[in-house]
Amino acid sequence: MSNVQQEVFEIISKQAKIDIGAIKLESTLKDLGVASLDAIEVIFDIEEHFNINLPNEEVDFESGTVGHLIEAVERQLAQKAG
Amino acid sequence: MRRIVITGMGGICALGQNTSDIWQAMTEGRSGIGHVHHIEAKYLRNNAIAAEISDFDPLKYIDEARVPFLDPLSQYALVAAGEAIRQSGLDFRGERAARTAIVVGVGSAGEETREGLYRQLYAENASRFHPLGIVRIMSNAPASHISMVHGITGPTFVVSSACASSNHAFAQAAMMIRAGLVDTAIAGGTEACITLGVLRAWEAMRVMAPDTCRPFSAKRRGMVLGEGSGIFVLETLESAQARGATILAELAGVGMSADAGDIAAPSEVGAATAMRLALQDAGMQPADVDYINAHGTGTAANDATETRAIHNVFGEHASRLAVTSTKPMHGHALGAAGALEMIAVLGALRDNIVPPTLNYLEPDPACDLDYVPHKARAMNVRAALSNSFAFGGLNAVVALRKP
Repeated sequence: MSNVQQEVFEIISKQAKIDIGAIKLESTLKDLGVASLDAIEVIFDIEEHFNINLPNEEVDFESGTVGHLIEAVERQLAQKAG
Repeated sequence: MRRIVITGMGGICALGQNTSDIWQAMTEGRSGIGHVHHIEAKYLRNNAIAAEISDFDPLKYIDEARVPFLDPLSQYALVAAGEAIRQSGLDFRGERAARTAIVVGVGSAGEETREGLYRQLYAENASRFHPLGIVRIMSNAPASHISMVHGITGPTFVVSSACASSNHAFAQAAMMIRAGLVDTAIAGGTEACITLGVLRAWEAMRVMAPDTCRPFSAKRRGMVLGEGSGIFVLETLESAQARGATILAELAGVGMSADAGDIAAPSEVGAATAMRLALQDAGMQPADVDYINAHGTGTAANDATETRAIHNVFGEHASRLAVTSTKPMHGHALGAAGALEMIAVLGALRDNIVPPTLNYLEPDPACDLDYVPHKARAMNVRAALSNSFAFGGLNAVVALRKP
């Protein structure tokens, strides 16, 4: 598991109050019981943690998976490094 | 039960500084959304767009000695109240002063003053705080200044329920008239919320559109803030007839509910309940209604939920309704939203023109009603609903019919 993945999983597990083992790359935030403002808070925590901005287009609360979210974080981190 | 009619309307928003200009812009399908003048786009992630009032000179409308006491929140309310009261032909000398209520919906407060003074305090370490901060910021100031300018001495206060504030104000005013507490009420809403702090706070909720507001359309990306005020004169039918006043419409019923659910996500049940109660209170059947001025914020969640709620209440009549959101024109003015939308509803009932839903791109399967895209429609409007559904799950709907 990459560091980014590990850290994103930890943030979600803390916000959703679920065991980290229950989170899969193909789960959506909704599947994990993180909806509405809780989901927006998860994104905010991720932005704060990595010091990045995740544009609205990168975040699909309906069908986006945790895997997609991690890819978006990696893209923003790469952009920041570049 | 005492019947209530509307005999005066006043307004100011990005579309104009009186209701004739605003209504004309609505029938022509003009949008007031553009770049915010005083905030640079670089301070926002999402583009600094809003439906902002421009070229506003308070001295054109308000006594010079009063202006220093006023945040734009109160200035806008005084402009709208002045127009509405002039149009109604009422004056408040004698007994009517104490038999008139003022109820104004405000979602926030004097935000421009608050941000300006707090910036001086926190960022510039100012040692002195301006003495008029409190009286400009307090959210009841608009109601107070209407009472002072017009000499109205009856029950006067502000109600606050975020984006439903104006409709709750109409409901509260109507109930005081029905209860016999007053015979006349000055009711509506005001908001002056285009500040950097407010824009940033909304943006952080990820409900703001970077392009524009496209209610009920596929590819809609959220809401765009607006500002302004709408104020109306409500009185008993008897009083209006006795003085030969021009009646704009009957305020026939109100319906209110709380979702008791999520703090932000809308609820079909809560919205449908408020619409159903408004119809019931007005003694209307679903088939009596021709037009709904929707809450229609342009967010994915609101527009789909509101559409389902309309189906739920109106059944097969839903497809025969004209349902429009005027927010792409005047923006989402939060606590003033229902009041600006009342201008659209009164115009529709009076002139038999339904203002359009602008910026519509293509159908969304979750939004399958007749939204009158792009261009206003000439059609008979016998009765209408005006919907407001607030964050916090607070819903208020007003039912109106032709006089």
